[in-house]
Amino acid sequence: MELKKVIKAEKLDEVLNLLAENRERAKVIAGGTDFVIQLREKKIAPEVIIDISDVDELNFIRKSGEFIEIGAATKFTTIKNSGIISDAFKGLKDAAGHVGSPQIRNLGTVGGNICNGSPAADTVPALLALGAVAVVKSKNNTREVPLEEFYLDRGKVKLEPDEILYAVKFLNSKPGQGLGFVKLGLRNALAISSISIAVFVETDNDINCKDVRIGSGALAKFPIREKEVEAFLKGKTLHEDVIEEATEFFGKILEQRLAGRPPVEKDYKPYAIKGVFKEALNKALSVVC
Amino acid sequence: MKKRGKGIACIFYGTGYGNGFPDVSRAYAELQPDGKVAIYTGATEVGQGAKTALSQIPAEVLGLSVDDIIFINEDTSITPDAGTAAATRQTYNTGNAIKMAAEELRNELIKIAVKELELNSDIGLKMKDGKIFLEIYPDKCITFSQIAAMQEEPLRKFAVFTAQTVQIDPETGQGAPYWPYTFSACAVEVEVDTETGKVEVIRGAHAQDVGRAVNPTLIEGQMDGGFAMAMGYVIYEDLGLENGKIWNNKLSSYIIPTSMDMPEIQNIIVEDPENTAPYGAKGIGEPVMISVGPAILNAIYDAVGVRMTEIPVTPAKLLKAIREKEQKEA
Ligand SMILES: Cc1cc2nc3c(=O)[nH]c(=O)nc-3n(C[C@H](O)[C@H](O)[C@H](O)COP(=O)(O)OP(=O)(O)OC[C@H]3O[C@@H](n4cnc5c(N)ncnc54)[C@H](O)[C@@H]3O)c2cc1C
Repeated sequence: MELKKVIKAEKLDEVLNLLAENRERAKVIAGGTDFVIQLREKKIAPEVIIDISDVDELNFIRKSGEFIEIGAATKFTTIKNSGIISDAFKGLKDAAGHVGSPQIRNLGTVGGNICNGSPAADTVPALLALGAVAVVKSKNNTREVPLEEFYLDRGKVKLEPDEILYAVKFLNSKPGQGLGFVKLGLRNALAISSISIAVFVETDNDINCKDVRIGSGALAKFPIREKEVEAFLKGKTLHEDVIEEATEFFGKILEQRLAGRPPVEKDYKPYAIKGVFKEALNKALSVVC
Repeated sequence: MKKRGKGIACIFYGTGYGNGFPDVSRAYAELQPDGKVAIYTGATEVGQGAKTALSQIPAEVLGLSVDDIIFINEDTSITPDAGTAAATRQTYNTGNAIKMAAEELRNELIKIAVKELELNSDIGLKMKDGKIFLEIYPDKCITFSQIAAMQEEPLRKFAVFTAQTVQIDPETGQGAPYWPYTFSACAVEVEVDTETGKVEVIRGAHAQDVGRAVNPTLIEGQMDGGFAMAMGYVIYEDLGLENGKIWNNKLSSYIIPTSMDMPEIQNIIVEDPENTAPYGAKGIGEPVMISVGPAILNAIYDAVGVRMTEIPVTPAKLLKAIREKEQKEA
């Protein structure tokens, strides 16, 4: 398709109407930090581009009842500096703060991070560990999907042509909960994650693991929950030896999962995971309040 | 676990094309109507600061400020050949040619001043800020622009400098293939994450013999850059070559260090003037990079006890080596 129109939207209604009208012919652009590259490489060729980056209704971080909601067009810098996200969930701010560089964080959005469907999207493991839900809107409908069910394949999410991701939401932190995030990249800035891990824990005073959720990046076709490791930890007391065992177990799972991958992955990630996972879990425990 | 280690390395480096190869630089120094001096030379500025350093040298010779040197160097139709910006040779080689041309121009200006000021000799004549004057009686004074106005053709001097090197004996390897040599040393401390194989260089000290520091700020810039480039070479830059195919064929996967990866570096400039060099200044283009790599490798060895013999030491390679060592020991 030849590009015919770029529309800078100001209102959510306008976006949804344009999508209903143009469907497959249209694509939304937020920060453009993935989109523009794909456009230039001719991997996408929309006829209509709808710019949502300045739609105020998509740009917010707010408390809503028991939930924290983040609008899809909220930028990483805003998330990184948010006073609404609690210290216990600092891991989410860390994840946003680990994206690319200041320039990328000033443009890139959480909605773009999710919808682009990259396995190495940095905020997604944190959101998965928080048990986040995607709020999807179209002209006549609003629906909610658990984020872990939102992915179809590498680069593909469950959105109809007339839908956008409106927001993500998750339960606000409670005493005893904490979120830790660790990214392993090849350098300290502008690095694509080799591995990223977010761990959510809920413990009592005796570090008994009442609940745990682990989100991982760059370990599968898209960011996923590591449910086997979660099951291993749940109900156990998080002493060092238990953490060590869980770490070994995680490595074993990856040895199997990545067996068919190129050497840079299969000969590295099952081992490197151990340090990353331990650090993420310890970070989570350190922010539990 | 994070383990720290320290490493040092030192090197010497021969400047120029070397091995008897004709290493020639040429330059003109030309008086301008407004009393400024233009230098024409085919030395390329590639970001290293050649234009600055090579303007400072004639300014020093002629008692001018750098602003009064007009440096013309990137138009081959009007500049004489001065060889490549390579082999760490421009400051030394072309610096010498420019210095010689500027000295010839200086001598000519003095000769004209003696004549025009009706002096007995050139004793006690000073050259400063575009004026030539008698130190004991400054009223006896003529300016560069006055001299320029007297000329029918612009006053222009030419000089050639050819470095002295000797081809080595192909059978014995004996000879004097380079001159001059520069020396440098580096010390680094690294932190190795033994669980991910990631190496972080946490601080460094870097000493470079420069002969004479024509421009200390530029030298420090070159040293910082050399350090970063060596870090990239030794722990980051991986082509991902597999059966002739380069996998890391873009800058998102073929990575170099960013400012976030660079440690604090203490740069130490060592001045030991070289008598064949312009004001003693030797080239420091390439040598600033060389000692950093082996220092990092030595520090890794000190930290985790594995001797890495292939670069770059990517986290994957280092983690593998660490695990193999642990398995052997177990
Ligand atoms: C130099 C550089 C470094 C980077 N570093 C990192 C990094 O460290 N970590 C990381 O995770 N990412 C990184 N990225 C990737 C990118 O910045 C992120 O994925 C970012 O979140 C994309 O958001 P965006 O707003 O720019 O999305 P866009 O590029 O505008 O859009 C991306 C995709 O999402 C779709 N989309 C966007 N918003 C919505 C919505 N609300 N509803 C439906 N679909 C939508 C678009 O149609 C498009 O398909 C980097 C990119 C660059 C260029």
